[in-house]
Amino acid sequence: MTGTIFDIKEFSLHDGPGARTTVFLKGCPLRCRWCHNPEGLKREEQLMVKTARCKSCGRCFMPCEHPECQLFKRCIHACPEGLVEISGKKIEAKELAGILMRNADILNFNNGGITISGGEPLMQWEFVEELIESLDCHTAIETSGYAEKDIFKRIIDKVDYILMDIKLADREEHKKYTGVYNDRILENFEYLKSSGKEYIIRTPLIPGITDTEDNLKQIGEIVGDNPWEKLKYNKMAGLKYPMLGMEYMIK
Amino acid sequence: MKAETKQLYDYILNKEHHKFRKEIELEFDKNMSPIERMIYRFEEICKAETPVILKGEEIAFIRTIKNIPDIFTEQEWEEIKEKHYIHELGYMSNLSPNYERVIANGLLKERENADEYGIRVIDAILDLVKRYKEEAERQGRYDVAGILEKIPAYGAVTFREALQSFRIIHYSLWLEGNYHNTIGRFDKYIYPYLKADLENGRITEDEAYDLLVDFFLSFNKDSDTYVGVQQGDNGQSMVLGGIDENGQEVFNLVSKMCLKASEELKMIDPKINLRVCKNTPLEVYELGSRLTKAGLGFPQYSNDDVVIEGLKKLGYTEQDARDYVVAACWEFIIPKVGADVANIGALSFPRVIDRVMHRDLKACTSFEKFTDCIKTEIKKSCDEICDNIKELWFVPSPFMNICMDCDIYDGGKYNNFGIHGSGVATAADSLEVIKKYVFEEQSVTADELIEAVDSDFEKHSELLPKFRFETPKMGNDIDEVDELAVKLLDWFADGLEGKKNCRGGIYRAGTGTAMYYLWHANEIGASPDGRRKGEPFGTNFSASLFAKINGPFSVIKSFTKPHFERAINGGPLTLEFHNSMFLDNDCVLKVAMLVKTFIGMGGHQLQLNAVNMEAMKDAQIHPENHRQLVVRIWGWSAYFVELDKEYQDHVMKRQEYVV
Repeated sequence: MTGTIFDIKEFSLHDGPGARTTVFLKGCPLRCRWCHNPEGLKREEQLMVKTARCKSCGRCFMPCEHPECQLFKRCIHACPEGLVEISGKKIEAKELAGILMRNADILNFNNGGITISGGEPLMQWEFVEELIESLDCHTAIETSGYAEKDIFKRIIDKVDYILMDIKLADREEHKKYTGVYNDRILENFEYLKSSGKEYIIRTPLIPGITDTEDNLKQIGEIVGDNPWEKLKYNKMAGLKYPMLGMEYMIK
Repeated sequence: MKAETKQLYDYILNKEHHKFRKEIELEFDKNMSPIERMIYRFEEICKAETPVILKGEEIAFIRTIKNIPDIFTEQEWEEIKEKHYIHELGYMSNLSPNYERVIANGLLKERENADEYGIRVIDAILDLVKRYKEEAERQGRYDVAGILEKIPAYGAVTFREALQSFRIIHYSLWLEGNYHNTIGRFDKYIYPYLKADLENGRITEDEAYDLLVDFFLSFNKDSDTYVGVQQGDNGQSMVLGGIDENGQEVFNLVSKMCLKASEELKMIDPKINLRVCKNTPLEVYELGSRLTKAGLGFPQYSNDDVVIEGLKKLGYTEQDARDYVVAACWEFIIPKVGADVANIGALSFPRVIDRVMHRDLKACTSFEKFTDCIKTEIKKSCDEICDNIKELWFVPSPFMNICMDCDIYDGGKYNNFGIHGSGVATAADSLEVIKKYVFEEQSVTADELIEAVDSDFEKHSELLPKFRFETPKMGNDIDEVDELAVKLLDWFADGLEGKKNCRGGIYRAGTGTAMYYLWHANEIGASPDGRRKGEPFGTNFSASLFAKINGPFSVIKSFTKPHFERAINGGPLTLEFHNSMFLDNDCVLKVAMLVKTFIGMGGHQLQLNAVNMEAMKDAQIHPENHRQLVVRIWGWSAYFVELDKEYQDHVMKRQEYVV
């Protein structure tokens, strides 16, 4: 099974217990306005140009013969600063598992494991399923909870730890700021509670959107006594938008 | 810290004590011998010093004479250098004196065994102490006066006496002109005083901590007058933890208090080194990581399991090896009896590659033939470095000699020379390029490669991104390239093995760079790894600055592969994390475990920094707002705004490729 990933991050500290390696899967059904990983939104490969240090030498615009560059009409092998890249890499689940397990000794020693994040990993659930089955260590998934019930259940049952977002309690607000209603998410949360799995609910605190007293109170009621973490908004969140030729909606 | 200490802290931070400073001018009679000049200078400076006791200060002594006039004229130095090899400023630096003995004995007892010069030095110190005592009495500071009545003339009994005694000894070593006077195993030799005080109810733990904070401040009062290559390079390194001569763990209450005091003060001195091993409890690593979070660029960790074995292989006795400390930066030295010159020279690995590439590459029919040439050239370079060091001469320092357990001029128990090795990763990455493209793929000819490098990649410009970003780099746990680094270090050790130095000792290969990451980088042009002309190497034992690195796990794996027992002069792997990673205690614990992982995997030395890129950027524009911003340079920490721009830029460049 082939999937598309856009990053592997070693020693991620905020993606579950212990020191972990997090793999980021490309593609997400949500369009949260504050998203800090915009390259995780589209499933397809994308051109990513780090413009900040670009000296406009024009070398990436020179025609080249690399098959991988043709789609973008930009050469990704020409930049002397290494600023032009393709975000998104197709990879076999077993091959990815092999790469991730290279550090299994370190992960085990640090009571950590592998976290599958995104994007929304459940968009590539078959790939995720095969990946988890090929990993011989503690596994965690970071999900928006936005997935078909059966798929959600199927994957949740296979991982050791779940980090799930509840961003907005109000149905309409959720639609307004993330592009989708939260019905599925709340329904899946019900399953999560009954699953017997270790999990944590997380809410990113976006000024004026999710950090309102009202929203936090309502989410508090939904979550109840279960583990809940509020994540501080990262001021650097908009950094990657210009690299993808996108505009960041949060000012 | 208590209110009085906080006032003192602000006072020192604002450099208000600088108002007491003045300069001294001295003339030396041409007929005076070097040692007579040293004694004369020491006596005159002691006489010229004005006793100053600051408000609320419990550990006294502060420099008021800010300069130490050279005992030789430039012309005299020229004459000396015609006959002798002179290392740096001519003093034997980077020593770890026996504070333990001098504090316990007191100077009067030391005087009994001293020669005429030693006696004059001690008398000069005691005279200054007497004037300090009188000043303390004048100010009504009978606590200070009472202590100076006893020490350092007599042996210290209490914790406070021991701290004050240390301060006077350390101060006098600086006053003598010695530099990079390290602090050694402070917790080991100071703890007995604290223990006795606690057992006798003379002091509470809180009171002891307050004293320690006051004492730590003393390292920051005059350190700006102890300039090395840059401000902050002053060698005040303190070693905590580790095993003692009998294999017992040293880490004690003083070690804990030191880590806490350092975290609270957030000052660049003393620079903390933590000795650990795979059996060290996680709690110690956790305390260390909490200090890392403070952003001071220390503690630096060294691995007893690896270092002790390595030193034993070099001929140090087990007992001495177990007592190792670090010199000003990271060189492993032996306190009391070691007279090693741990930083006498440096090999540039990339320069070796550069020479061999230009001279031999075209004629080599295989990569193995090429690496044979590299091996030969490393040996030749080692010979050149070593043969150059003859008739080494040091300025005599009678007080330092009293504080050591050996005669440092005639030779200590150990008289070995340490040679740094700069640019290991740059060299390994360069070899990888040559191996892959010139020999395996044969897609680049030797001529093309040399043309590209010589033209700083103006010619064959398409090779630059290929070499720079698309070729395996050291730091990503790729055996193919890491093994090249392992070999380079082995060949370096081979090159020095069996060689005797001019003081009867041997040579030690190391993984440190000191300032050579800039100096050596400027000696050559571009390099085959895609490093452009003028770009520096990584600091010490680190990945190339522009290498795209997977992350800390891969780095640790790559950098624990070499045979450190053969290259144990010192020089740490540097890992840098953005300070936002240290959000909470959970993160601190995770970092602690990562350090333990590194030690468990057989790494020899680790330098871990919490870096604040945004603050550095702003500090270049508004230095006045960032006076307290601390960064790690190569083996020491400094206030960012006090550094020359090229050093500031290097610290920032280390972050450039981390998003």
